[in-house]
Amino acid sequence: MNPRIHRLRGIRVGWGVLALLMMMGIHAAQARVVESANPTALGQDPLNMHIMEGFLPPMWAIIWFVVALPFWIIGLRQITRLVATKPESRLLLGVSGAFTFVLSALKIPSVTGSSSHPTGTGLGAILFGPFVMSVLGGLVLLFQALLLAHGGLTTLGANTVSMGIVGPLVAWTIWKAMQNRAPLWLTVFLAAALADLMTYVTTSVQLALAYPDPMGGVVASFVEFGTVFAITQIPLAISEGILTVIIFNALMQTAVNELRTLGVQGA
Amino acid sequence: MQLIDRYAYANRLRNIDPAQKTALAVLVIGLCLLLNRPAVGLVATAWMGGLTVVRAGVPWAVVGRVLLAEGLFLVLAVVGVALSFSTSPPPPPFRSFQVGALWIGGNPASFSLAGLLVSRALGCAAAMNFLALTTPLMDLVHLLRQLRMPPVLIDLICVMYRFVFILLERMQRMHTAQQSRLGYATRRAALRSSGLLASRLFVDAYQRSTRMQTALESRGYTGDLRVLPLNYRYDARLSVLGAAVGSSLLLVWGFS
Repeated sequence: MNPRIHRLRGIRVGWGVLALLMMMGIHAAQARVVESANPTALGQDPLNMHIMEGFLPPMWAIIWFVVALPFWIIGLRQITRLVATKPESRLLLGVSGAFTFVLSALKIPSVTGSSSHPTGTGLGAILFGPFVMSVLGGLVLLFQALLLAHGGLTTLGANTVSMGIVGPLVAWTIWKAMQNRAPLWLTVFLAAALADLMTYVTTSVQLALAYPDPMGGVVASFVEFGTVFAITQIPLAISEGILTVIIFNALMQTAVNELRTLGVQGA
Repeated sequence: MQLIDRYAYANRLRNIDPAQKTALAVLVIGLCLLLNRPAVGLVATAWMGGLTVVRAGVPWAVVGRVLLAEGLFLVLAVVGVALSFSTSPPPPPFRSFQVGALWIGGNPASFSLAGLLVSRALGCAAAMNFLALTTPLMDLVHLLRQLRMPPVLIDLICVMYRFVFILLERMQRMHTAQQSRLGYATRRAALRSSGLLASRLFVDAYQRSTRMQTALESRGYTGDLRVLPLNYRYDARLSVLGAAVGSSLLLVWGFS
């Protein structure tokens, strides 16, 4: 068994182990397909934790769509307004969506080995706001379902909530709350790291709700899982945060004009 | 990714109406979820895998590889559903064994739920793979337009689809360049190189979008990217097969 499990001894960890296995599984499984499909590429394993097509019971699939819907509607309104006032933002949004998708293929080193990550969504939320990002996130997930056979159509709502809504919302809230009150690097770091962490926590909550532990029940598996999961995910989130700070610093040095055009304050 | 996209353009079902192919995939996914039986999922997997190989002419090795990856992932994913972990021995009907201080246990109900999840999700995944491997994204865009998706979203999808491949190629080139200069030799260097790469990619993407805007505007762009749809044809045989798939799934459900 994995040595990590020994560290978790003494806690009931049904869903925690599930999540770990999912992460390892997707790395092992997805990386293999991708490498053989595209030997020259950096392994394009996508964001490493989506709920697969058919994994959620119909009721939960629908519930998560209903949760995502208001964000999509507001986001779509904002995009329509943005495009009406600044026509060039149409292409910019499309390119940003593609950037988010491609960035998810970039691997970063972490304590648990190299890993892919949803950096793009945190960055996107800082640039465009959380509602617009929920629409872009939904589109990115659609692309992943159709181009990478990863994620799915019935689970699009659930995956949008974790990756396209909760993550960006966390990043954006921290960005707004801490701006001009803390050093920029700290703000960016926390926004990216916590957005990353909360994305995974949301996915685990979604799974725990749909399939509660037979011994612990929903609430028990919730709490235990949250604790364990946060512990295993923190190193990854830290790498994520560091990477986003490096990206942001590089952008501040070389792309100040672009950032100003996008309305990033402090640039 | 390029693998799936390549077969989406070069398969024998390419010029069949995307609506028909999507309807088939959605039907199978819906039936798998609603009927909710392990046998249904397995039959659906066999049908959709078979259709992708036999009707669409996608090599079985490709179909198998994509499905195998999804299956492996699923088997690992349901371990948490099948097994429970606790510090004290669980009560019957749990059967359990001890690893250190940890009790790993499962009961028949949790095992059968895990089996159901694997087969159901595999059936759905096979149906999704059928759609992904036979229908290019641009055909689906055509379908989405017919379904009255907001035009802004359709434009975004078109732009994204084009740029995903451009940016991916850019990223691979930059990555190769960095790697050949030992950019990923140590963990620290790897982090720095990834950050540089991502920021340059962002600038590149931004500048490309402004250049494309200029180029399109000079050709009378008003915010509508129109692509001529193919002359799709309706395939009666696929409909018959779809009916066969649907009724066989219902039959299997009735018997199990």
